[in-house]
Amino acid sequence: MRTRSSLTASATLGAVAVLTAGCLSEGGGGGGGNENTSSTIELMYGFTGQQSDDFIAVVKPWAEENDITINFAPTPDFNSLIVTRVQGNQLPDIAIFPQPGIMKSIAERDVLADLSDVLDVGDLEANMVPGMLEAGQGDDGTQYAVLMSSNIKNPVYYPLKAADAVGLDQPPQTQEELLALTDKIAATGTTPWCFGIEAAAATGWPATDWVESLMLINYGEDVYDQWVNHEIPFNDPQVLEVLNQMEELLLAEGRVSGGRESVAANNFGTAGNVMFDDPPGCYMYRQGNFLAQPGFFPDEIVANLDSEVGVFPLPGTDPESKPVLGGGDMASLFSADNEAAQKVMEYLTSTEFQDAAIAQSESYLAPRSDADSSGYDSETSRNFATIQNEATVWRFDGSDQMPGEVGTGSFWREMTAWIAGDQDAQTTLDNIENSWPA
Amino acid sequence: MTIKILNALIAVVGGVLGAIALYYLLNKLAELLPGRWEDRVKPYLYLLPALAAIGLYLVYPTFQTIVYSFANAQSTEFVGVDNYVNLLSSPSFQSTLFNTFLWILLAPAGTIVIGLLIATLADRLRPRGEKLSKTLIFLPLAIGGVSAGAIWRFVYAANPPNQEQVGLLNGIVTGFGGEPVNWLQLSDFRFNSLLLMVMLLWMQAGFAMVLLSAAIKGVPTETLEAARLDGAGEASVFFRIVIPQIRTTIITVFITVLIGVLKTFDIVYVMTNGNFNTNVIAVDFYNQLFTNNNAGYAAAIVVMLLIIMIPVLVFQVRQFRAEEAAR
Repeated sequence: MRTRSSLTASATLGAVAVLTAGCLSEGGGGGGGNENTSSTIELMYGFTGQQSDDFIAVVKPWAEENDITINFAPTPDFNSLIVTRVQGNQLPDIAIFPQPGIMKSIAERDVLADLSDVLDVGDLEANMVPGMLEAGQGDDGTQYAVLMSSNIKNPVYYPLKAADAVGLDQPPQTQEELLALTDKIAATGTTPWCFGIEAAAATGWPATDWVESLMLINYGEDVYDQWVNHEIPFNDPQVLEVLNQMEELLLAEGRVSGGRESVAANNFGTAGNVMFDDPPGCYMYRQGNFLAQPGFFPDEIVANLDSEVGVFPLPGTDPESKPVLGGGDMASLFSADNEAAQKVMEYLTSTEFQDAAIAQSESYLAPRSDADSSGYDSETSRNFATIQNEATVWRFDGSDQMPGEVGTGSFWREMTAWIAGDQDAQTTLDNIENSWPA
Repeated sequence: MTIKILNALIAVVGGVLGAIALYYLLNKLAELLPGRWEDRVKPYLYLLPALAAIGLYLVYPTFQTIVYSFANAQSTEFVGVDNYVNLLSSPSFQSTLFNTFLWILLAPAGTIVIGLLIATLADRLRPRGEKLSKTLIFLPLAIGGVSAGAIWRFVYAANPPNQEQVGLLNGIVTGFGGEPVNWLQLSDFRFNSLLLMVMLLWMQAGFAMVLLSAAIKGVPTETLEAARLDGAGEASVFFRIVIPQIRTTIITVFITVLIGVLKTFDIVYVMTNGNFNTNVIAVDFYNQLFTNNNAGYAAAIVVMLLIIMIPVLVFQVRQFRAEEAAR
């Protein structure tokens, strides 16, 4: 008897010793979860640094006025953290997703509120370009998320001061005109395009934006959606056509500054800077609107952005079609019945918030087309807003919606190998298709 | 912050007290046993916590990994040997394996050769010069792989020809009127992999040098003098007198570097992320698990790594035993 009780005691104590030594943690952080009925709510999101500071600077005063306490929870590792927290049922009240893919997979667990009960969806639909509201819907059309900030991937930057000489004062209205312009500049002996896809461990992603943009431009949103959702194979002949088009426009001899070999080693953030040389090293560089923020173009260009940098959107197949490839952060509601959280959702999707964010932040682009464009701090930023708001169709960045194996794996890797000249276009697409998870 | 400090304190105090309590109880437990049994059982009881920890943190995960390597990406269903078959038949994984073998073949041997060379040459310098040169060469060992990547990025950096070159190598090349070269994209003959190995040599040569230099200094001078008296040249003194006497140190260094090479991740991840045909097994494992969320492939890759490691470990243990026996 005595033996057994000491055995049990020692076993228990041993287990406790082992457990306490390694498993203490900080607890749940309070608030949170579906059952939260208080006016203290947790708001989780994936952007950090200046962007997060600006966000808090706008939202916090509003929340105080409305007697809502918001626990801001920014994390650079949003995707894995939100999955872990949903699995452990430690839900935030609101989460702002950087990608629709991860949002949809979480919506499948029935933890996200249907926002049509909370927000005036009709008003949003009327004030967002076609496709933007749909980006936050599940496959059955339920509105799980709404963009609260946006960005665009299809601006083409050009040097304003050198533009007249090559006819860039009249930006091309169609793909045909773009090709003609490219030919015309190439004929002068200068490479028309800048292109760089080096991004350390993420090398290759800027190339995916090109493919996605051209898919959307050439074949329209239906084929684009089918391709992104893998309803047509990744190596469909239409995609091969896009790669060939990229090759003709961008990669062929004499097209790209530094030659095709240099693209994979050229950093995406600074690849366009030779366009400000005298004479320009290139005339056009397509990159997301983030490029106009300080830290990419040379300082003296950034200081005089509006007089140095021109922007036009990658044109459609005809002057009337203006497809825009974009992205953004989408707000979702976990605590469906929490009034404070509902109010915050209304606020984030309102012009009140978006006008304030425009005024506060250098990089913010408002998804609502009725937001106050006069608040942007530069003509360039206003141009981005115009490009977005004139879109005939808007689609979320495709690689952000594809499975991770492809969207952040093989798509980057194989495009890099193709551009570096290690393999041909068909092999590239076949490899990506083969990597698509069953 | 306070809660973190409190947590840490509780963990330390609780861990130590827990360990004392555990061993006290185990001891009491053994004392309950009759006479001779107490002495027989006690050592095993004392070993028990350590064995349990190894079992929990090493043996169990190993077996779990082997099991997962036969399961699908989400580890929910068994798929037989599909993971192995698919990996081994994919050209990109074959290339990854080939690169890994190149690393195994060249990097440890290269480290030994360079380490020996430096050790021998530094041995002939005056004490101050020897100290200085050894310190400088030893320094990179204190630099982590990612930091080394930040440094070597500036060596291999390649800008387009119409831009200023910030890379050291391309600065030299263009200084002599050449065209800049994209060093890390030169996959012919796996030249870019060799360039990455240079980084490892840079980091590890100091380690090899220190051990080998100590061993060389330990070679009895009588043997050297005897050889020289018998008319041996410097080369044969080195190869036939010094090398055989420092053989065990060479093997130790070789195996240590070899194990390091098999785990090489940071250099390749930072410099190329496995692009341009430079992928190695550890980077592929990381990408399978964290980019592709494919636990099956990831597990299969580490099991293969384990299989490659086993002969090395067996050799090392044997070598260690032989050394012990020779003493």
